[in-house]
Amino acid sequence: MPTVKLFASLRKFAGTKELSIIGATVGGVLLELTRQNPLLGTAILDGGNLRPHVVITLNGRNVIDLNDSVNEQDVIAIFPPIAGGQGE
Amino acid sequence: MIDQRIYEMFREIGEDLYTAQMISSHGGNLSIRLGDRVIIKRRGAQLGRLKPHDLIETRLDKNDSGVALASTELLVHRAIYMNTPALAVCHCHPRIAVAFSLSRDELVPVDNEGSYLLKKIPVVTEEFASGTPQMANKVAEALKNYKVIMLRGHGSFATGQTLDEAFLWSSCLEESCQIELATKIINEPFIEYRGMSDSYKKF
Amino acid sequence: MSGWSEKVLEIDLGTQTYKTYPLNMEMARLFIGGRGLGARLLWELVGPEVDPLSPENVLIFTNGPLTGTGYQTSNRFSVTTKSPLTGTVLDANSGGFWGMQFKKTGYDVMIVRGKSEKPVWIEIKNGAIAFHDASELWGMRVFALTEKLGQDNNRRNVLCIGPAGENLSRMAAIMNDRERALARGGPGAVMGSKNLKAIVVEGRERPVIEDTDRFKFMLYETRKLLAASPLTSQALPEFGTAVLMNIMNNVGALATRNHQQTQFEGAESISGEELAEKYLVKNSACWACPIGCTRISKTEKVEGEGPEFESAWAFGAQCGIDDLPAIIEANTLCNDLGLDTISVGSTIACAMELSEKGYLDSDLRFGRADMLAPAIEATAHRRDIGADLADGSLRLAAKYHHPELSMSAKGMEMPAYDPRGLQGQGLLYATSNRGGCHMRGNMIGLEVLGLPKLVDRFQVQGKSAFVILSQNSNAAIDSLVICKFTNMGVGDEYFARVLSAVTGVQYATTEMIKVGERVWNLERLYNNREGFTAKDDTLPPRLLNEAPVDGPSQGWVSNLAPMLKEYYRTRGWDENGVPTRKKLVELGLADLA
Repeated sequence: MPTVKLFASLRKFAGTKELSIIGATVGGVLLELTRQNPLLGTAILDGGNLRPHVVITLNGRNVIDLNDSVNEQDVIAIFPPIAGGQGE
Repeated sequence: MIDQRIYEMFREIGEDLYTAQMISSHGGNLSIRLGDRVIIKRRGAQLGRLKPHDLIETRLDKNDSGVALASTELLVHRAIYMNTPALAVCHCHPRIAVAFSLSRDELVPVDNEGSYLLKKIPVVTEEFASGTPQMANKVAEALKNYKVIMLRGHGSFATGQTLDEAFLWSSCLEESCQIELATKIINEPFIEYRGMSDSYKKF
Repeated sequence: MSGWSEKVLEIDLGTQTYKTYPLNMEMARLFIGGRGLGARLLWELVGPEVDPLSPENVLIFTNGPLTGTGYQTSNRFSVTTKSPLTGTVLDANSGGFWGMQFKKTGYDVMIVRGKSEKPVWIEIKNGAIAFHDASELWGMRVFALTEKLGQDNNRRNVLCIGPAGENLSRMAAIMNDRERALARGGPGAVMGSKNLKAIVVEGRERPVIEDTDRFKFMLYETRKLLAASPLTSQALPEFGTAVLMNIMNNVGALATRNHQQTQFEGAESISGEELAEKYLVKNSACWACPIGCTRISKTEKVEGEGPEFESAWAFGAQCGIDDLPAIIEANTLCNDLGLDTISVGSTIACAMELSEKGYLDSDLRFGRADMLAPAIEATAHRRDIGADLADGSLRLAAKYHHPELSMSAKGMEMPAYDPRGLQGQGLLYATSNRGGCHMRGNMIGLEVLGLPKLVDRFQVQGKSAFVILSQNSNAAIDSLVICKFTNMGVGDEYFARVLSAVTGVQYATTEMIKVGERVWNLERLYNNREGFTAKDDTLPPRLLNEAPVDGPSQGWVSNLAPMLKEYYRTRGWDENGVPTRKKLVELGLADLA
């Protein structure tokens, strides 16, 4: 299963640094992750969408499209919004 | 040939502008600055359905694109890039904002997001709709101190580091204007919820 | 006028006299204060014939019209000099409380010239300027000295050098308020070469604010914006700047083992999360700052401020060390001796690589956390290996016939972000006027964090425009003088309005950024006059030629050449990187060239 690594304040929501989460796309993994961890869900999602400035990388490359497919050995890293408020 | 990712960016935002009813079929324009070059929509193309050949790349200080892109549009964008640190320009015709610009010298949002992000939007006047040097300089001058401004009766010009940002200011402006229009229809006394609210117009 | 005190204090250490005269307000309007004003004055005072460690070099301390007004983070100040490390114009910038107090003494500028025959310290107290014999204090370390001279954050503030500055290490910092630093480029050595041990300030004057209503509104809005930004209201206070360690490692842009790799397997152990969990006592703030990014960390051996991300990186990933307590202790030791953590860490890393390859005979090896403290002590005292380390990695590597192993630009050690993972950042380092520095501009927001929006970090075309805007904006902010973390929550347009409200001089946003552009071009002219050319706008061969073999940045080198060409054109410079006459006229600098 793909690995999800959590950083900074997200760790306390999930109670852990690292999880194995099933999913075929980045979006799919996020859905399953937040289903298992509703608190984490509110931290990174707003409704069904990603909160602005949440940084998600897939094997170190920033994810722009949540439909990007994910393989077994892939690592998804999620950082909470540590970049500014609106715009500035 | 323009980079595919840049084309995608223009296409998406052009489409958003059209569906948000902030432009007519062939109105408005988008441009970005890439170093000392500018990429801009070709005259006569539709922002809502951009094709790769609808984007022109040219030098910042003069048109070397080989395309007889009427200098009207390019003039204003160029003036903005020469006179401000803008790296992207979004020009559109947001309907309610334009309506308000007919009776006000500045727009001061009353809604939360508008107050927070924009504070105040000045209105400048220049009758000739097609770009003249006077109009270009007037718009550029106003954009030295504000990230989005109105050209009375015509439309908005917004700048940013990216097209996304310039679009954000434009979209926020129109949203604020629509909210204010709604308050006029609702026509009930305004309950002020913001601290220091009378300072916004002095921004 | 409001904002500015309109007075200059000029001190002659040779004769132990001083004079005061009015600040040229035309110059002030064009360059504002801080870094800008410092650069303009250095241009007049220190030419190419001056050796940075000679009495003819000067130290120009400047605050700005916003300093001490109480606007968020209006505590910062600058020192400008010719750098003993790089030979370029150098301005270093520090926070804490000293800058605020310096403003209260009623001067915008303090120029320190000449050299004292014997060690001396200066006291500016309520209008009186006194020279005191510092013979008894010479040799004292920073913490003890700061306490001895009566440090009291809000009332009496100590700025000083430690043994490193006294021994003229080119990596020596000037420390203030115990653990804040004017760190990069060796200003501490300049101060040491003048036999000046400390400057203590106590003042009573308050800056005048022209439009108090408008100022209060800006204060209010800034407070709201900083509270709303997750960076300034959560990430920085909670994890400090070291929150970047895991992110940079994750995207493959964390320079490791003297830039031999771009990822460090021990990154987690030296991250902001680890620091917060195990060693953080609390966070702390400079004067008038609501963010509170400062760490107070504690190990079995020490308790002190820091470490910042760059410091943790320099002694951590760059040295292949994952022992966070050792890193914290190394950071505190540098503060006590008065040394720049980035340069020292990277110089030790360079020595480690030289040793491992057999070019240098020493016990330094990557991963040897136990060697950090002894190497740092030795550096400050120029003892044993320290004699080689004290003057920075370039001189070290050149001495042992491998200058290409110094990870520096123009002689200043580069910080954590590896240019092979971030193209724009590489352009930043190569063109920075004071050498390899990450504070002259910031591409991390755009290339990694998505602030304001993500741009492709491997893309080359068009990057120069972002870099230039960032450099100009930062130069303006360094002239106000405000903390760049405020800029993470609040846009440039707010600063322009605060500046206008305080001084009564109306600066449109663009005009304020233009001040930054003016400062940048002046610094460039200065360096050109010193003999720097386009050839010096470069990076170590490793970054230009050796791609990482694994990680997310695998296969990428820094594509500097095309970015640089575009950069010169976009800046309005010729193909040799010299500002054109047209550009200088536009910026009002024509009479200087």
